[in-house]
Amino acid sequence: MTPAKRMWRLAYALGKERLFSTRMLIMLPILLLFIPGMAWGFADPNIQLPADQIPEDATETMFLASIGIVFAGTMAAVLIAHDGISRDRTSGVLEIRLSQPMPRWRQGIVLIFGHWSSIALPVAILLILSMFLIGYRSDMWIPLGDAVVYIIAAMLVLLWYTVFALLASSIAKEQGSAIAFSIGLWFLFTLLWVLFTTLLAALNGVAVGDTQDQGYLIFEGRLDLLSPNGVYHHLLETRLDGVERGVSAFGAYIAAVMWTIVPLYLFQRRLNSLVP
Amino acid sequence: MGDEVAMQFSSIGFRHKISSPKWYNPLKKRKGAGISHVDLSIPKGEIIGLVGTNGAGKTTLLRMISGILPLEEGSASRNGIKLEIEALRSMVGFMPEQVRWSSQQTIRQTMTEFAYLRGCSLQSALDVLAIVGLKNRIDESLDSLSQGMRQRLSLGVALLGTPEILVLDEPFNGMDPVAIDAFKRLLRSLASKGISILISSHHLTELDHLVDTIALLHRGQLLAHGTTESLQSSLGFEQMTELVLDREIPESLSNSLNVLEYVDTASEHRYVIESGHPGLLEELVKRNFQISTWRVVPPTLIELLCSATGLDRETIGMDVEQSSMVPLRPIGGEEE
Repeated sequence: MTPAKRMWRLAYALGKERLFSTRMLIMLPILLLFIPGMAWGFADPNIQLPADQIPEDATETMFLASIGIVFAGTMAAVLIAHDGISRDRTSGVLEIRLSQPMPRWRQGIVLIFGHWSSIALPVAILLILSMFLIGYRSDMWIPLGDAVVYIIAAMLVLLWYTVFALLASSIAKEQGSAIAFSIGLWFLFTLLWVLFTTLLAALNGVAVGDTQDQGYLIFEGRLDLLSPNGVYHHLLETRLDGVERGVSAFGAYIAAVMWTIVPLYLFQRRLNSLVP
Repeated sequence: MGDEVAMQFSSIGFRHKISSPKWYNPLKKRKGAGISHVDLSIPKGEIIGLVGTNGAGKTTLLRMISGILPLEEGSASRNGIKLEIEALRSMVGFMPEQVRWSSQQTIRQTMTEFAYLRGCSLQSALDVLAIVGLKNRIDESLDSLSQGMRQRLSLGVALLGTPEILVLDEPFNGMDPVAIDAFKRLLRSLASKGISILISSHHLTELDHLVDTIALLHRGQLLAHGTTESLQSSLGFEQMTELVLDREIPESLSNSLNVLEYVDTASEHRYVIESGHPGLLEELVKRNFQISTWRVVPPTLIELLCSATGLDRETIGMDVEQSSMVPLRPIGGEEE
């Protein structure tokens, strides 16, 4: 059997184990509520949104519903992967894994792909379901190109959070620290980022009182490149008309590539020097 | 004991990195205790007992030999050819101390997973289960296994891919005497098939009748390596005999014996004497002594250590309490 095939089998087994784990069963209703549930809500023809925003097409509705990915999808990725390494460290299995001849970078890919696939698969299915729900409820169908971009962007943001969680798990000596690291990071990017952005904008003399102010939007857009959720939204915005936040589509793609490569590199580096 | 060397470790060293936060660098680390300049030759089919007190560096050394920790100094070689870490890992099977296998996964799934990691066939993984006596429990979940079964599973995983060297870290911990006996017999049969075994313990008695040689580790350094007899002789150890008699040995006879220990109770008289009195047993029988015990007393770990290090029992005890793998000689100057 080739090394690639062995990696695939290992990742498949890990993904399957995580997919049917108790925690996934607990998270599934939350994912259902946040992903297709939000799509259903935003697809309501009589919806009343702040600032009189009315989604004009299915892509815009999906954009609004992407908050479900930001809140529930990324949280689920963190909860799935937060003990990917620390659990084995606590039980002593990590020592056995590290003594195996399969190179650690290959083991790292197995860990990432296994954990990521277990959350990516249900989220992808729920996203597709959301698209059908929007079409059914509002009679607006998302173009195939937009659908592909939305799914890929969601998969990427889940991958980033999975790698963060695994990285935290590799640093933490026990489960408590691992979950504190992972949830802390999720909390920072998901909830505290607005505060951070506003604070920095105010320090830079940007009018933070008016969130529709172009100066603020551009400042926020650029700062969002430093956040995985921000880059995710930039990727989604490449499919929307009339969005000007100071970041081009190319800039968003480059940021996405960087957010993929850098954490992966850091994780692989960490794995190479990992001691039980 | 085989003459062919399975693997040779030359002057290997590793030092743990210890967190040493400073206000200007909270992540600062410094080099701490570790293993220093260990030379170890592992002959094919030999069982080596790695003995040392707590904190001597046994686990660190075993992890280095298994390729878990890098060889910061020195090298591993086979037939004069230097081994890279991945080659080392493929030749060594490692069983850590007390793995808490727990999940809904079955033994079959676990073995399959490690067969993929090891790069061996699934059939060979199942064959290994027969060797360690878990074949009948192949579809049981890990959660349902007893501690002894878990130890067997760990050994099974270590045996995957037919390693040339088996490294076992305190394998008898948590096992009952029956399981220990069965485990020892299994190890003996593996050694007879040419697998070299390196087994660590802080109890010499556990290794009785199992190991061919003993490697004595203290404060991260290998003090001595050889058979028990050669160690005793090289360390200048006097062999001791324990005898328990029904009455006191008369002075005329005891004067010629070097009595190291004497305990007198109401029913028996226990002596520990230096060995080497060929006519003593005959003499005692002739004088109608009732001899309830006559045995050669093996040296304890602490006695071997005292002898090897030249330190007394109290100083060694303090060392153990401080659990210091700090090398006896400095490695490359400064700590940081």
